[in-house]
Amino acid sequence: MKKSLVMLLSLLFIASTVLAACSSKQETTSPQAGNDKPAEEKVEPFEMKMRHIEIGDSNKNRFGRLEAVVKNTEAENPGLTIKLDGVESEVNRKDKLRSEMAAGNPPDIFDAFGSPDVGVFAKEGLVLDLTPILEEMGLKDKFVSLTPWTHDGKIYGLPKGGSIEGYFYNKKYFAEKGLELPKTLAEMEQIAEKIKADGKVPIAQASKDAWVPLMTTNNLWAYYAGAEFTNGFKTGESKWDDPRMVEAVTKHQDWVKKGYFKKGELGLEYNNQRNQLLTDEAIMMYDGSWAYSALTDEKTAGADTKDKFGFFLMPPLKEGEGTSSMVDTNNGYAFSAKAAEDPRKLAAIKSFIKNFFNEDVQLQSFKEDGMLPSMKIEDSKMKEVAEHPLMQEILARMNEVKYTWPAFDALVQAEVNTELGTGIQQVIEGVKEPKAMLEAMQKVQEQVNEETDAAQ
Amino acid sequence: MNKALRKPVTYILFLLPTLFLFTLFFIYPVINATYYSFTSWNGISNVVKFTGLANYSRAMNDPNFWIAVKNNGLFILFSVFIQVPIIILFSLLIANVKKLKGLYKTAVFAPSVMSTAVIGILWGFIYEPDIGLMNNFLGLFGIDKIYWLSDRSWAMISILITNGWQWTGFYIVMVLAAIISIPKELDEAAMIDGATGWQRARKITVPLIMPIISVVIMLSVAGAMKAADIVLVMTKGGPSGATDVMATYMLKHSIKSFKYGFGNSIAVLIFIFTLIITVLYQLLVAKRTERIEY
Repeated sequence: MKKSLVMLLSLLFIASTVLAACSSKQETTSPQAGNDKPAEEKVEPFEMKMRHIEIGDSNKNRFGRLEAVVKNTEAENPGLTIKLDGVESEVNRKDKLRSEMAAGNPPDIFDAFGSPDVGVFAKEGLVLDLTPILEEMGLKDKFVSLTPWTHDGKIYGLPKGGSIEGYFYNKKYFAEKGLELPKTLAEMEQIAEKIKADGKVPIAQASKDAWVPLMTTNNLWAYYAGAEFTNGFKTGESKWDDPRMVEAVTKHQDWVKKGYFKKGELGLEYNNQRNQLLTDEAIMMYDGSWAYSALTDEKTAGADTKDKFGFFLMPPLKEGEGTSSMVDTNNGYAFSAKAAEDPRKLAAIKSFIKNFFNEDVQLQSFKEDGMLPSMKIEDSKMKEVAEHPLMQEILARMNEVKYTWPAFDALVQAEVNTELGTGIQQVIEGVKEPKAMLEAMQKVQEQVNEETDAAQ
Repeated sequence: MNKALRKPVTYILFLLPTLFLFTLFFIYPVINATYYSFTSWNGISNVVKFTGLANYSRAMNDPNFWIAVKNNGLFILFSVFIQVPIIILFSLLIANVKKLKGLYKTAVFAPSVMSTAVIGILWGFIYEPDIGLMNNFLGLFGIDKIYWLSDRSWAMISILITNGWQWTGFYIVMVLAAIISIPKELDEAAMIDGATGWQRARKITVPLIMPIISVVIMLSVAGAMKAADIVLVMTKGGPSGATDVMATYMLKHSIKSFKYGFGNSIAVLIFIFTLIITVLYQLLVAKRTERIEY
């Protein structure tokens, strides 16, 4: 009797565990008693997840605009709730989104980089092909450039804005010391020497994240090796250990050795370089035009921001050769292919595109954050909006630039980017010479190219 | 009843749910990781190409991987030879304190309930070269500014100190529990025989708490092998990979570089290394200190 009881209890326990695990969620949409509204007015609620990177005080304007767009999209799509999920840009790009893609479960709308990231995701059918949607909405030809988002002839995402990279500098300090904007790299070095002699840090640079110093290195090699040079790494036409590349990276290392950057920069987070400029510890800072809002926000930059900072492009090697700068539209929004299988979510995606990618939002982004429009907008309208002197300077420099190129990370494979990140930090640290680092890079590039060819 | 419980079928039935969960959350991932470690899978594609031992060979030939292995070794050495003696010392001191014992216990335990992210930021301020507590203090003795987190000669030790600070209190509480469970008569008898505090600690208390110290060492070693969060929060593996441990090296290459196959081979290597160290420790040290009879 006892034996059977124990057996029975054991079986009951196992069965209940298995059944509990196999049970499915009960439907909860039974009609409510006394609901006399017509059936067609009933709206089934649905939720969409949106990943964005507009977090922190420096992105508060961007977040405000995004919230307004989300609200409009929700209003246009009854039952829709968009759940916003804010993640730091680098973490989203290199960790979180890639893990979600690996699990086949990306957010419905997500911040992404067109190349190479979205290209890799799109190849596996994880990202929504926007080509027919853009054609339907008449938006296909409205963008300045969709190249980073176009893979195999299809468009997989839209850029939020454009950006240009150059030096933000302390205008007041330059005026006080009688310094003039440099016309060549040599002149820039002379200015840096004078600033250093004055006890200040010439150039703010925080290199804990390798992409920050690589902005400078990229601009240097665009001058030494040419604006188109980076395009050739993937095809094997350009070599990392090319003598011109060695010269460019050596120049960057020279600047470190000469003390143009703050000592211990490898331990400093990206935001720290803005702090160096804002607190007058440093006089110049190489950064993207997206830094505009942080440098003009009265809370962080002080009440007198109008004349404090200016903007110039990295000067060429020889006077009159023309400036060269990174200008790209690689960051924006893409959409999950899975989400579009639900017609209501697809409608919401179209709504979002309509509300976010229009002239008003683009001009507002330009005005508030200095984000250059990713859509074609008349110059006169932009000039009308560019009230702040710093914005006017950025705009003027952008119109002067002779050679433009996309950032290197849009043109090389992710693995090459990772290795280059370690490599540039080793060069800054002084544990590796530029030539040795670039030779190692070339080996990695060849290996990755071989693997890519084999996969294709 | 006894007869029923003697039947193996009964035990198997009770074990089944646990076995199912163990298989789902441990056996399956290990097999899965091992399988992908022999491929060049990018983590997203449906195409999985078998590459044999290429990933393992690549790891073995990468000097940066060996830097990461060395750093895991430093974690273990720091835990065993610096952290454990400190744990024993503080446990003995707190056990013999007459007043405010609870306060001391809470104070040493507090860091282990804090999140690693908070600790990383807190110690980031302490190590700040210009205004940080550490350099300010050392400055009093005329010592030059140290770039704790950006100088490779200091970055690893800075992380080890922070990690030690975070977990020492947790282990102290474990060892304290063991000390308190030692029958008081033993200590009293030794005291009557004229043994000093140092002699009692060395000859009675420490030998009697060896099993728990053994557990503390085991946990420290296991913790050291899977360390990642503290490194990511404090240095992100920098400067230029000098503080990477195997887990951060794995993350860098698997997710950031779309090399899941390679990342899985590192995961398998971490598993194998941990297994070897654990087995060696069990065979050489822990076995001797397993049983204590009063």
